[in-house]
Amino acid sequence: MSAKRGPDVTTRMLGAGILAWLLPGAGHYALGQRGLAAVFFAAITFAYGTGLAIGGVRDSVNPKTNHWLFLAEIGVGSYTLAGFAGSAYVMRTAPDDVNLMSFYPGSDVAQIYLAVGGLLNLLAILDALARAQTGGLPVFHHELVRGTAAERGAP
Amino acid sequence: MTAPPILLAWIPFVQPIPLPSAARLWMFLPLAACVALVYRATRAYTARELPLATVRTFINIVVGMSLIAILAYAVDEGVRRFWSG
Repeated sequence: MSAKRGPDVTTRMLGAGILAWLLPGAGHYALGQRGLAAVFFAAITFAYGTGLAIGGVRDSVNPKTNHWLFLAEIGVGSYTLAGFAGSAYVMRTAPDDVNLMSFYPGSDVAQIYLAVGGLLNLLAILDALARAQTGGLPVFHHELVRGTAAERGAP
Repeated sequence: MTAPPILLAWIPFVQPIPLPSAARLWMFLPLAACVALVYRATRAYTARELPLATVRTFINIVVGMSLIAILAYAVDEGVRRFWSG
C-alpha cells in the first residue's frame, strides 16, 4: 500500500525559501500558514512600499547610488527587481529631473524603511525555512531536538 | 470639481512624496509596529496569538528606543556644556 506523501524536507525548504524571497509571506502561504502569510505580506510590503513612495525609485533602488542599501533591499526579491528596473528606466529617460530625486529628510526616512523592509523579509525567509523543516513550528529542527532532550532530562 | 494639476501628474514610486521635517520623528512609530509584528510572527504558532504579543513588543521597542534617545540627548548636552567651553 502506498500512502500519499508530500515533498521531502529539502524540497519543501527550497520551495518555501524561494517563494518567501520572491514575495513576502508566499513561503508561509505555500506551507499552509495563511494567517501568518498575510501578516508577513502586510507588514513587509507596508515598510518597503512606504520607503519606495517617499524615496522614489530613481535613487532608492539603485546599487550605483547606494550599494549597501541595495544589499539590504535585495531581501525582498520581486519588489527590488521591479524597483531596479524602474530605476534603470528613470536614469535612462530623465537622469537630471530634480522632481524624481528625494532629499533630506525624505531620503533619510525612505532608506531606513527600505532597508528594514528588506531585512525583515530575511527574517521571514528564515522563519519559512524553519517551518518547512519542522512541519509548521517556529523553531529549527536542532532546537526541537534540544528541547525534547531537555524535557527528558538529558544533559 | 477637478483635482489640482500636481495631483494628476503625480506618479507613485517614481515621484517621491515630500516629507515635512516634523514628520521625520513620527515615522518611527509605524516602522516599529512593522518590526514588532514581523518579529512576533516569527515566534508564533498561529496568527491568532499575534495582537497582544505585538502590542507588548511594540511598547518595549518604543520605550527602549526612547530611553536610548534620551540618553544620547543627555550625553550630547553634557559634551556641549562641559567640554566645548
